[in-house]
Amino acid sequence: MANHAVTILVVLSVILIGLLILRPSLTAVTGGKVLAFIALFILPISALALGSVAHLQHATSTSFCLSCHPMEAYGKSLRIDDPTYIPASHFQNNRIPRNEACYTCHTNYAMFGGLKAKMGGLKHLYIYYFGTVPEKIVLYEPYNNRECLHCHASARSFEETSPHKEMREQLGGNEMSCLTCHNKIHDVQNADKLKFWKGPS
Amino acid sequence: MMVESSPRLQQRLKIAAYLLIAGLVLEAVTLYWSSPLSFILFAGGAGTLIGLGIIVYLIAIAAA
Repeated sequence: MANHAVTILVVLSVILIGLLILRPSLTAVTGGKVLAFIALFILPISALALGSVAHLQHATSTSFCLSCHPMEAYGKSLRIDDPTYIPASHFQNNRIPRNEACYTCHTNYAMFGGLKAKMGGLKHLYIYYFGTVPEKIVLYEPYNNRECLHCHASARSFEETSPHKEMREQLGGNEMSCLTCHNKIHDVQNADKLKFWKGPS
Repeated sequence: MMVESSPRLQQRLKIAAYLLIAGLVLEAVTLYWSSPLSFILFAGGAGTLIGLGIIVYLIAIAAA
């Protein structure tokens, strides 16, 4: 949607700018000056702003994350046919939007979390093109319960069940990681030995 | 009333116009190119060209 809006803006700008290149005498009259201001200032700034929104939106998509070769195995792990695998069961049961699967769980739900995620993404790009991708990919910092609780906190299925109820404070304070018990995550090392779900993406 | 604009102003407007067209076309390309590099090309390439085009345009009208 944003892409189409930007394309329309770009085409409109290029047509008007082209007109000004072909008929420079237009800028001699007031109407031409206004046209030049719109074509050479207002429209390009709008196109740039909308383009930024479109790019940032696209950067949250699963397809964007998986377009880097080292991430392919992690994308594949979302299709492990075993409900005990947390990312796979979230992806396959629509507990997270499939088209924003990576971003939903790996963004930081604190203040400026989105910005931090974008900066991390730029760092990944740099390593991908100019550095060496590590053999084993690990998170920059331990996975924070805050990211799980962003959805699960206040959900009846979480709050009223044992043992969440008993250790709610420790989970909320990040003193005990959700991953202590829910420890089947992407497991890309053993992916070859597992069965995969062939459902829609 | 039609007043002839100076050749210098027209030349600057032309430079701004070419920079903006190049930047806008590059922006359109990056939007449909599904690669991790597309964002870099958008921010570094299209953003720079459009920014320069706008600056040249503003200088042109300020100096006119």
